[in-house]
Amino acid sequence: MSSRPVTQQLGAQASSAWLPGSLLWRVAILSVVVVFAQIGLISEVPLFGVSIDLSPLLVAFTGLLCGSMLGAIAGFAVGLLIDLALLQTLGVTSLTFTLIGYWSGRLRELRDPQAALTPLLVGAGAAASAMVGYSLIEFLLGVDAPVSFELLRDIVVGVLLDTAVALPMWALVRRCLIGGLPEDPRRRRRRAYTTGGLSPLSRSSGRGL
Amino acid sequence: MYDKTVRRRRAVLALLVALSLILLTAYFGEAQSGGLHSLQSGFLTVVSPIQDGANKALKPVRDLFGWFGDTLDAKSQNKELRKELNRAREQLTADQEGAHKYAELLKLDHLNSALSIADYHPVSATVVNQSPNIWYSTIIIDQGSSSGVRINDPVIDGEGLVGKVTRVASDGALVSLITDSEVEVKARISATGAIGMLQPQVGEPGRLVMQNRSSNAPVTRGDYVVTSGTVSGEGDSLYPPGIPIGLVTSENEQSPFKSVNVSPLADLHNLDTVEVLTSTSGSRPATLSTLSERLGPAPSTGSEGEGTGGQAASTEEAGGGGSTETG
Repeated sequence: MSSRPVTQQLGAQASSAWLPGSLLWRVAILSVVVVFAQIGLISEVPLFGVSIDLSPLLVAFTGLLCGSMLGAIAGFAVGLLIDLALLQTLGVTSLTFTLIGYWSGRLRELRDPQAALTPLLVGAGAAASAMVGYSLIEFLLGVDAPVSFELLRDIVVGVLLDTAVALPMWALVRRCLIGGLPEDPRRRRRRAYTTGGLSPLSRSSGRGL
Repeated sequence: MYDKTVRRRRAVLALLVALSLILLTAYFGEAQSGGLHSLQSGFLTVVSPIQDGANKALKPVRDLFGWFGDTLDAKSQNKELRKELNRAREQLTADQEGAHKYAELLKLDHLNSALSIADYHPVSATVVNQSPNIWYSTIIIDQGSSSGVRINDPVIDGEGLVGKVTRVASDGALVSLITDSEVEVKARISATGAIGMLQPQVGEPGRLVMQNRSSNAPVTRGDYVVTSGTVSGEGDSLYPPGIPIGLVTSENEQSPFKSVNVSPLADLHNLDTVEVLTSTSGSRPATLSTLSERLGPAPSTGSEGEGTGGQAASTEEAGGGGSTETG
C-alpha cells in the first residue's frame, strides 16, 4: 500500500468512507430543488437565445466535492429526473451526467486541485461535455437535425453562460454539502494553515507567551 | 482495501452506464404505450402539481427576469425599428420627391405638347440654387453650355415662363426671373390681343406690370397674359409665342398708358425643375432670332413691333401664336 501514490490512497479513502446517509439526503434534496428550479424558472429565461443549465454544474460539483462514486450516482439520478420530467428519451441525460459526475470525482481523487479557478474550469468542462454528449447521443439516435452554425453557436454561448454562473453555483453546492462531508485531514490541514492554527510562527509566538 | 474500493467504484460506474444504456435502448425501442413511457407519464402526473406549484411560486421571479430580458429585447428591437423607420422615411421622402418631380415634368410635358416646345430643343434642368433675398430674382440651374444652354435662352416650368438665361458656365447657368428688373418680356393679353412690355412692378417683388399696350381695349381680371413671340430690340430674348406668363389682376386707370397689373403663374419661390429652350443653331427659332438681329431695330415711323414683322410672321407660322405685328 505504501507503493501507491498518496493521492490514490486518499481518493480510495474518500470513496470508501463516503456515502453517509446525511450526505445522500443533502445531495438528493439539492438535486430535486436544482432540477425543478432549472425546469420551472431558469429554462424560462433565455439569454442570447440560450438558457443557463445548472444541472451539469450541480453534478460536476457534487463529484468534485464528494468523489467519483457519489458523483456518478448523483449524475445518474439527476439525469433520470430530467429525462422523466421533460419527457425526453430516458437514459440520454443519465448517461452523460453519470460520466460527468464520475470524472469530476476522479479529478478530485487523483489531483485534488485547489486553485480558485478550478470550479470555473470544471464547470465549463461539464457544460461543454453535457451539451456535446447530449447532441452526440441524439445524433446517434437519428435525430434529423443538421450540424449548423446555429447549433455550434448555441453550444458555445451555453458553455459561456454556464461558466459565468459556475462560481456562484460552486459556492451554493459547497455550502449545502459541506456539512455532510466526512472530515478530510487535508482540508483540516489547509484550514489550519489558513487560520494560522498550525503556522510555525503562531506556534512559536504561543510558546513565547 | 484499496482494490476493493476501486472495484466497487468501477462496478458502480459500469452499472450506472449499463443501466443508462438499457434505459435508452428500451425506451427508444418500445412503443408509445410501453412501460417506460407509461412510467414517464406517471411521473409527470405525480410531479405536475409540484411543477405547477413551483411555476406559480416562481412566476414573479420569472417575470422579473423576463422583464429584464424583454427590456433588453425591446431595446434592440427599438434600435432595429428606428433604423427601419429611418429607411422608410428616406424612401417616403424619395418617393414624394419623385412624385413632385413627376408632376412638374408632367406639367412641362403638357406645356410642351400644347405649344410645340420640342421645336425649341428644351433642356431639362434642376434648380440648384435660388437667390435667398426676398426678391427671388435669380436662380442657378445645373445645365450649362455643355448642354447647349446659351445666354438669353428662355426658361419655363410647368406653369409657364420663368425667365431667361443671363450667364452661362459649362455645367450651370444663371437665370434671371421675369421678376428681375433687367428682364422685359414682350407679352400679349390673350383675350384682347393687346401687346405690351411686361416688367417687374417697382416696390412689389413678385408682381409684374404690363406697359405700352398696343390697344386700350378693356381687360378683365383673370385674363391670361402670354408671350407674344416677338422681340422689342437687339439683345432681347425671343420667347416662343403663347407661353403663359401670368393672370391680369387689375388695370391702372390713372396711368396714361393704362398699364395692367399681372400676377405670374409660375411659383417663382418654389422652382425645382425647369426647361431651357435652347433652340440650337439651324432650328427655326434660332433662325428667327438671327433674322431679327440682322434686321436691326424697328423703323421709328411704325409701331414698336414693325421692325420684326418678318420675324413675327414667321413666329406665328412656327408657333401658331397670335402676334399680329406685320410690317
